[in-house]
Amino acid sequence: MKVEYVNSFYKAAKDVFQLMVDIDPQRGDLKFIENISNDKDANVELGVIGDLKGTILFSFPKNMTLEMVKILSGMEMDKIDNFASSALGEMANIIGGNALTLLAQHHYTCDIVPPQIFIGEYKPHPIDSDKALLLPLLTPIGEFDITILLKENK
Amino acid sequence: MMWKDKYKIGVELIDEQHEELFRRVSEFTKIIRSEEDWNSRIDKVKETMDFMKDYVIDHFNEEEAYQAKINYPEIEIHKKAHASFKEGVDNYIKIFEEEGFNEDRIQEFGGKLMTWLIMHVGNMDQKIGEYVKSKGGQI
Repeated sequence: MKVEYVNSFYKAAKDVFQLMVDIDPQRGDLKFIENISNDKDANVELGVIGDLKGTILFSFPKNMTLEMVKILSGMEMDKIDNFASSALGEMANIIGGNALTLLAQHHYTCDIVPPQIFIGEYKPHPIDSDKALLLPLLTPIGEFDITILLKENK
Repeated sequence: MMWKDKYKIGVELIDEQHEELFRRVSEFTKIIRSEEDWNSRIDKVKETMDFMKDYVIDHFNEEEAYQAKINYPEIEIHKKAHASFKEGVDNYIKIFEEEGFNEDRIQEFGGKLMTWLIMHVGNMDQKIGEYVKSKGGQI
């Protein structure tokens, strides 16, 4: 997997977080994982189609999710309900869309499949046996992950 | 409070309308997230949605008229963004007409609406303000 993929998602996540929740996420250490899975509490899966094909997974701890939605709405949140999960899914969708716009500058034309939200651990798909790249992002309200599994489809 | 001063673009009419839009979406969010029985809130939910739908359309029209007046170079891109925002709202209205005002669906819509609004005003609309400033202030 190429460095452009990671950089595009990192930059998009940084911009959207700064704009929407006034938080500047910092990169943690990248690592390869055997297949796309995560045990954090709220997971948003985005499908990518086009010149690149694959899956992007955004994974957030519960308290961070609630804190983000609280910052967005100005309201206290005590559980990840439909309102909170939908806001989280849309934020991930915006990050994904912006990342694909950045990737288009590297001549990859792709589209996003609408997000799917999983509350609770995200189990790997049996067909996704390839190695994925996990990018941890550190913020004052918690650590979240973007897992990237993309293949060239040209 | 959903509204933040950093969302201001420096054009009074548009800023006032944005603040009103945020106030309405905040109010809508409070109603749909209240602990009271859903049936006792449903009329208020419908009423707020009707108002908001009209207000969003009026605001977008006025904002586009302003952009045309100042020869805003990104007007066509902005119009497309407005159209896709309206389409998103319309899709949910269609779902509510077909499926009824289901609480889970309304919560889902509320989460998206808030995110769309913040992203649109906090990002795309800021570029109008930057253009006005680049032309030396209020046009």
